[in-house]
Amino acid sequence: MLYIVEGDACMFFVNILNNIKKYSFLTKQLVMRDFKVKYKRSVLGVFWSILYPLLTMAVMAVVFSQMFKFQVEGVNYLVYLLTGLVMFNYFSEASSGAMASVVTNFQLINKVYIPKYIFPLSKTLFVGINFLLTLIPLLLMILFTGSGETKCIINIYYLLLPFAYLCLFMFTLGMGFILSTISIFFRDMFYIYGVITMLWTYLTPIFYDITMLDPWVQGLMKLNPLYNFIDFTRVIILHGTMPSAHSFFMCLALSVPVLLIGMIVFKKNQDKFIYYV
Amino acid sequence: MVRLTNVGMKFNLGIEKSFSFKELFIKTFSFKKKKKKTEYFWALKNINLDIKKGEVIGFVGSNGAGKSTLLKVVSGVMKPSTGKVEVNGVISPMIELGAGFDVELTARENIFLNGAVLGYSEKFIKEKYQEIVDFSELHDFLEAPIKNFSSGMIARLAFSIATIVNPEILIVDEILSVGDINFQEKSRKKMQEMIDGGTTVLYVSHALDSVRSICTRAVWLEHGEIKMIGDTNEVCEAYYKQEMKN
Repeated sequence: MLYIVEGDACMFFVNILNNIKKYSFLTKQLVMRDFKVKYKRSVLGVFWSILYPLLTMAVMAVVFSQMFKFQVEGVNYLVYLLTGLVMFNYFSEASSGAMASVVTNFQLINKVYIPKYIFPLSKTLFVGINFLLTLIPLLLMILFTGSGETKCIINIYYLLLPFAYLCLFMFTLGMGFILSTISIFFRDMFYIYGVITMLWTYLTPIFYDITMLDPWVQGLMKLNPLYNFIDFTRVIILHGTMPSAHSFFMCLALSVPVLLIGMIVFKKNQDKFIYYV
Repeated sequence: MVRLTNVGMKFNLGIEKSFSFKELFIKTFSFKKKKKKTEYFWALKNINLDIKKGEVIGFVGSNGAGKSTLLKVVSGVMKPSTGKVEVNGVISPMIELGAGFDVELTARENIFLNGAVLGYSEKFIKEKYQEIVDFSELHDFLEAPIKNFSSGMIARLAFSIATIVNPEILIVDEILSVGDINFQEKSRKKMQEMIDGGTTVLYVSHALDSVRSICTRAVWLEHGEIKMIGDTNEVCEAYYKQEMKN
């Protein structure tokens, strides 16, 4: 192994494939660490991953459908809620975890050479495992709730769901890279992002239907990446139809560029991290 | 094996202070426009060093002389501000033992985690797992979370993991003073074994005796610069004399 560290020109072009192979074990270990530490002392352990979204859904269902009488025409409201909720929760948990990951793992970065992108990446993956578990309650809701017209039927288009989840993952990872870079130079970002996520919750149609809004707001909403990913899955799960080509395009157009920008921003700044953390 | 050419490492002392709104506010509204003064601190200046295969180099110098920074630059943790670092070989950095341990996890889990951090493959750790446990002598505590371990036990575990490989370059920063006498002796022996096996060692210690006993060459760093380089005994002698004078 020969490597040359150049002072002025940060020319450390890593062979990505090589690195993935070399650091896959570390990534796996970091994901496992998060997983073990998270559930270590709780009685129900990993079941919380399944229980938590179910309970959140129950709370929201009671508040919005019973108290505020929200309804979305012609669909199973519980499934409607949960499809949005699991995806949004994944995004907010993974992006804020990734944001903090470089700062919290500073001890390591300062002592051993590890590529720094491993931390946002392993965090996004770890929450991803959690996300897959939350698909279990979603499946239960699809199978056991709704009747007649609002009954969801498992259909062939389910095979397209991974596409939306992959776009969600790419978008989240990209955001994680951008946020972790910003937060190192500007720690106030942790607080600011908390407010942003809260705002984002309301700007994403999780518990309401987009058609309730003014047309111009609807237009804006369609630029919200999370809306696009969620809508993609809802078309499949709730309506049992194939998402439109436009839908495919929007999902890709709002995720891939974000990931690329995130990677570039992170890479350009990573050598400076050590002075700021 | 390791070559440093004109390596300099610059730290910006002002960094901590920037980015607060208080400062921004004062700056914007103060009448006296003070030019922003950036204070730089050169932790390393003009370091030229050529380390050959099999050499055991000791670094001495007072606190803050740049010893640890130098090791970090060599191990790739930090990028030098100026100059070039060339390293040819697999490095095992023992800059701080147990960096990357998670205190909530058990000793067994930490062996795998720390091994991954040090860049070992999964297969390698599985093979060497028993050897690591045997060397650390912590058989009875494998399933205990290491937050309940004493610092000596943590050091044992960390040393055992870090030295299980036969690295081409070993970077050791002030770590042999850990553990009880029995383990100190054991770890010293282990290090001697590695040296005899041809490992290049970069060794930092304040214990001049141990520098004298294992190093083939010594470097005396002062204020980030090489003050003296050469025969271990001469360098240690000169360094000791100066320290005693102050």
